[in-house]
Amino acid sequence: MHKMKKCYLGIDVGSVSTNIVAMDEEDMVLESLYLRTQGNPIQVLKQGFIILKERLADTVEVVGVGVTGSGRQLAATLLGADIVKNEITAHGIAALHFVPDVQTIIEIGGQDSKLILLRNQIIYDFAMNTVCAAGTGSFLDRQAERIGIPIEEFGALALQSTTPVRIAGRCAVFAESDMIHKQQLGHHREDIIGGLCEALARNFLSNLGKGKELKSPILFQGGVAANVGIKQAFEKLLGCDIIIPPHAAVMGAVGACLLAKEAVRKTNCTHFTGFDAAVSDYTVKSFECSHCPNICEVVEFHRDSALVARWGDKCGRFSSTKIKTSPTEDELAQ
Amino acid sequence: MSIKIGIPRALLYYEFYPLWITFFELLGAEVVISSRTNKQIVESGVQHTVDEACIPVKLFHGHVVDLRDKVDYIFVPRLRSICKGEYICPKFCGLPEMVRHSIKDLPTLIDITIDCIKSNRDLKNAVFAAGNFLTEDRDLITTAFQTAYIAYKEHKMILKKQLFPPFKRKKIMVLGHPYTLYDSYLNMDLLQKLEACDTSILTPEMLPKPVISHYAQNFDGQLYWSFAKKLIGTVLYLKDTKSVDGVIYISTFGCGVDSVVAHLVEKIIRRDTTLPFMLITLDEHTGEAGINTRIEAFIDMLKWRDSDENHISSHG
Repeated sequence: MHKMKKCYLGIDVGSVSTNIVAMDEEDMVLESLYLRTQGNPIQVLKQGFIILKERLADTVEVVGVGVTGSGRQLAATLLGADIVKNEITAHGIAALHFVPDVQTIIEIGGQDSKLILLRNQIIYDFAMNTVCAAGTGSFLDRQAERIGIPIEEFGALALQSTTPVRIAGRCAVFAESDMIHKQQLGHHREDIIGGLCEALARNFLSNLGKGKELKSPILFQGGVAANVGIKQAFEKLLGCDIIIPPHAAVMGAVGACLLAKEAVRKTNCTHFTGFDAAVSDYTVKSFECSHCPNICEVVEFHRDSALVARWGDKCGRFSSTKIKTSPTEDELAQ
Repeated sequence: MSIKIGIPRALLYYEFYPLWITFFELLGAEVVISSRTNKQIVESGVQHTVDEACIPVKLFHGHVVDLRDKVDYIFVPRLRSICKGEYICPKFCGLPEMVRHSIKDLPTLIDITIDCIKSNRDLKNAVFAAGNFLTEDRDLITTAFQTAYIAYKEHKMILKKQLFPPFKRKKIMVLGHPYTLYDSYLNMDLLQKLEACDTSILTPEMLPKPVISHYAQNFDGQLYWSFAKKLIGTVLYLKDTKSVDGVIYISTFGCGVDSVVAHLVEKIIRRDTTLPFMLITLDEHTGEAGINTRIEAFIDMLKWRDSDENHISSHG
């Protein structure tokens, strides 16, 4: 029997992608998965763990798990996590790991975009996009689909643009109608895509970068970092080089891994439920509580037929009650 | 049977409720306050308000609907100015009209005009106008108002006592209008969430008014909005006293005053201090993930800075 290699798992459940990273004790990335969430985080996590089990279960021992992303609570319930962290801290930790003197992080994901400023290796300031998702991955996805080109080729096409057209980047709806208008005028597809990339970068900087000093080295991470068109647009606007770190698309998960390592160093044990978590059957039921006018949408999470967690209520009537292994008739009736 | 007067739990209710409630009660009315903001109130508010209004005004409409069938009168004052030489948000001036034209089958509105722009003397007429809905007795109205004013001042004193709350690791100034700070449904329990992270909260409400006025004088420019004066005075106070570890500004989408003030506040903080600053914009969305992420990251940032400073001091 060979000795099992110790490893840490980092999971980032985002709106568009769910990323899983496995790292060893030397912080080497053993595996990284980038999966489309497709509105079904549970299914995608299961799928991810089936792949991981096949590739890793025989050779590694998971000693720590960290989760992040907007679906972090769900992932923590499903897999048992040693640390649950917000995306901003996770991205900051990951960036510092690859580029210790990083001062600025541009992170663009599926539905959020973030600007994180670091000074002396600590997060100094950050901003997140507010109500609008213009300029995030999901908007790019939609436009690529509309124009009929795979999102992977989007950036490369933008680079071929010679005279990028001016597109309003402030609002996704306006940007789209602007694009359609320019298409009807007969502009080249490359120039429209090039123009869109510039509009998004401009929007990001005026929205999140307002009044902030973006110092070099600047890292660009998140799913959209794979888009060379956007990278080039940022470089053009900022007048300096932008670094795309290794594993840029899964940086949140990398950060979660590093945080997990830190967390279990203190506790020396993990809450990980095991790769078999994937084999279990998960069902989610939801109901509207009619106890008060808030009419909360309560979510019930079941593993195989046992209720493991509930959330979504404002008052804590359901989420704070201790879960028994089998729910009583009374509870089911509510 | 006594007359029932409804007061919507919205907008400047959060500033003046001890005054309003005491006043009407002393004149013999039964005061009914609308329920705490809940999903139903939000929904009926959004449904009953012109589309371009901000969420606090929409909530006000929802609270009026909540009271509609329960009371004889609803108190919807037209607030033009609450302090000499200063205006407040223009939406407050048009509130009775907005409500009247948007919501059907309303009981009579007590829509007195409060306008202190020229002098506080005009306030007297407003007080009598409000009192006359219940009594003709001018002496009774005067006494009721005086007592109510004392109640209001006492309430302010209680708030100020919270200025030095029990020691916690971090102090955070939460800026914003009282109706966004104290409506915990609207701000998704932001204050409670921050307190749960071992921080103590300071709001502009907890600072004495003369202190705010004093610091507001240092501002280079004229502050003709009462809300703006309060927030900018508070920030200039923070700048000088350095009494907190971080500043969070809660704004609502489409707020006209905040579109100027939030920007000024951020500018002052970034230019003259090293305090971490975060702006949170609230609207109708109910997903808490966004706000939770921001709070957690902000607290992480404060603590991280702290450990960094400790690290330096302990090693050299």
